[in-house]
Amino acid sequence: MTLDFSRSAPFTMGIELELMILSTHDWNLIRGAGDLLALIEKEKHAGDIKPEITESMIEISTSVHTDYATMLCELTAIRDTVVGNALRLNLAIAGGGAHPFQHWSEQRIFPKERFFHLHEMYGYLAKQFTVFGQHIHIGVPSGDDAIWLAHMMSRYIPHFIALSASSPYSQGMDTAFDSSRLNNINAFPLSGTMPFVADWNEFNGYFDTMRDLKVVESMKDFYWDIRPKPEFGTIEIRVCDTPLTVEKAAALAAYAQALARHLMLDRPRAPSLDVYRVYSFNRFTACRYGMQAGFIDADTRSRRLLKEDIAETLDILVPHARALGSGSALAEIGASLDSHQNGSGWLRDTFKQTQSLSDVVRLQSRLWAGEQRLQPVR
Amino acid sequence: MADIGFLPSFPLAATNLMLVGAVLLCGLAVGQIFVRVLKLPRITGFVAAGLVLGPGVLGLLDQTMLGELSIFVDISLGLILFELGRRLDLRWFTRDPWLLASSVAESLLSFLFVYGTLRFFDIAPVYAASAATIAMATSPAVLIMIVHDQGATGPLTERLLALTALNNVFAFLLIALLFGFVHLEYRADLLQAVSHPVYLIAGSSGLGYVAFIAARALARWLGKREDSQFGMLLGLIVGTVGCAISFKLSVLLALLAFGVFARNLDRDHDLMAVEFGPGGQFFLVMLFVITGAGLRPAELAVAGAIGGAFILARLAGKLVGLGIFASLSGITQKKALLLGIGMVPMSAIAVVMVQGASALYPEFGAKLSSIVLSAVVILELVGPLATQWALRRAGEAEPATRAAA
Repeated sequence: MTLDFSRSAPFTMGIELELMILSTHDWNLIRGAGDLLALIEKEKHAGDIKPEITESMIEISTSVHTDYATMLCELTAIRDTVVGNALRLNLAIAGGGAHPFQHWSEQRIFPKERFFHLHEMYGYLAKQFTVFGQHIHIGVPSGDDAIWLAHMMSRYIPHFIALSASSPYSQGMDTAFDSSRLNNINAFPLSGTMPFVADWNEFNGYFDTMRDLKVVESMKDFYWDIRPKPEFGTIEIRVCDTPLTVEKAAALAAYAQALARHLMLDRPRAPSLDVYRVYSFNRFTACRYGMQAGFIDADTRSRRLLKEDIAETLDILVPHARALGSGSALAEIGASLDSHQNGSGWLRDTFKQTQSLSDVVRLQSRLWAGEQRLQPVR
Repeated sequence: MADIGFLPSFPLAATNLMLVGAVLLCGLAVGQIFVRVLKLPRITGFVAAGLVLGPGVLGLLDQTMLGELSIFVDISLGLILFELGRRLDLRWFTRDPWLLASSVAESLLSFLFVYGTLRFFDIAPVYAASAATIAMATSPAVLIMIVHDQGATGPLTERLLALTALNNVFAFLLIALLFGFVHLEYRADLLQAVSHPVYLIAGSSGLGYVAFIAARALARWLGKREDSQFGMLLGLIVGTVGCAISFKLSVLLALLAFGVFARNLDRDHDLMAVEFGPGGQFFLVMLFVITGAGLRPAELAVAGAIGGAFILARLAGKLVGLGIFASLSGITQKKALLLGIGMVPMSAIAVVMVQGASALYPEFGAKLSSIVLSAVVILELVGPLATQWALRRAGEAEPATRAAA
């Protein structure tokens, strides 16, 4: 049996975001997903709002967009729905890749068959999976394009990690990483990267073998950094931490969209195994150092700072952003580059000022609700 | 043989500390037996231990000993009410006014139903009203302890704490007002009847406010360090309890006000949310054992019928009040039912407050006690179980309950 790849219009995009549900008493995670979803279901709302693996998480997703501005608009509407209903229950919502001081052992699995299955299979890893990521979908016309684009995008994975990083604190400690969240994902047996297959046909061969060997049942079992999503007709970039604001989340999707357009139309190079040879190293330094990370360019065999590579990419993307109408989104990414500021920087600055992780979470939730600008404010 | 001066003379003089240690150990041991053997909440065990040791059964703890231990009651009530006050987030009621409506409804209906029931039993209005006021409040001590023991977190737990905080506020204010009527009942003049409630309410909340200002100033100076803020708050709580007693104010109202101010007026978030943890546990165990010792099983036989009717009327009031506003406040009828059952523990604190009136007019206290005490006996033992059941049914308790020490 082969996987059918649904066609979708090229350069369409969509976002899924996993969010924290917080107690306004002590700003720890709270098991509020059930009540919050029940309340949200009662009203008509934009996008899709679903439970996630533990009861203190909720997942929101946008519909399919070509335009950055309309996507941001929808995302803001979904955000307001979730935040507004949470307030009625005296709960708060926040972005960020990991809750700074929750303890994984206190998490509870959301009562749903698939989640219980995951918990049984992965044990404590499933509960440690209480981390919060952004998934970006980019539409592609065919399965072959999906495989090609996934290989080409792999080079840029460190960009997405560094720009979105917002999980410096984990289990009450500064991890020294900008994105500690990805370390939790590395533990899963089917994490990592898609094999270096040439096209959709070869991919199907690989998938069939894995299924015959009973390693996987469906595409959902692969936790790769980028994976094709045949039912949507997209590739899915899964390395981003959930950013601290919806604006940043939308800007990251616009960056992926412009990058896809550049790669598909300009065809700057061919997929190369060399990219995968340096992949783990580049990915690690991006997690560890964020924008200040070093970056090895497999193509030119040169070494530079990751932020220089992002800046150069942004220059290349200018005409594509213009064509897609996402100039302002890319300008925002450029600005964060100039200020060396990603979510992790903001969180660390805020901790420096408040000296309390629960204050950090409180301000993080205000930032998410759009009540505060992206700068440390007491 | 000559007297050896450094040896103690027999029989040994029991010291207060020996008493405290013994009470604590007995309580904990019986609590463990309840958890392990009977699968009941350990609080019920603490109360049962007190009941058996107390004057009602074995009489090992007599009235003088209980008097000496009363300081623990005051401190633990102070800790609990401060903690409860910190759970009362007034902004929640502006975001969801129906929550406030459901709180007013459940308090009012428990009052009215109980008042009506007691009037049916031909109990004079002033006593019926005092007893009905006691019926309004849910026991914060039982609730906080069960929430802690069950590791409960979630929206129902938060709602339960907020509603309990509010029905305690209502009950305390009403009791202060009732003092006025009690004065009138016993022919005191009108001035006293009016000024006493005013002094209690204004004085106690004023004291709570002063304590909050002091706490905030000290917190700014100490910085965000949990250990130092913990000690500071503990000191202020105990000090405020002492001040309230000296000024003949309401300890309960003052500490509740302190907590509410700390939650709602601390704009810069200088105060940290500290948990009183193991240290607080000690006081709570003492509180429950001493409460148990104050119970008289004999009361059950005397006023059994009234007690039963009182309990049913109270529960009906809570369930109807919460049920009416459930869907408007965004919760299901099932959740409203669980909330009502979670609120079954009755506040022995309200009883303590009414005893303030007994001090002024012993006859009043005696009459009131005979009305409510049978309900108190039943609810002290059954209440913890009801709350525990509600939290578990709501799925907010830890699946494997920590067998807490």
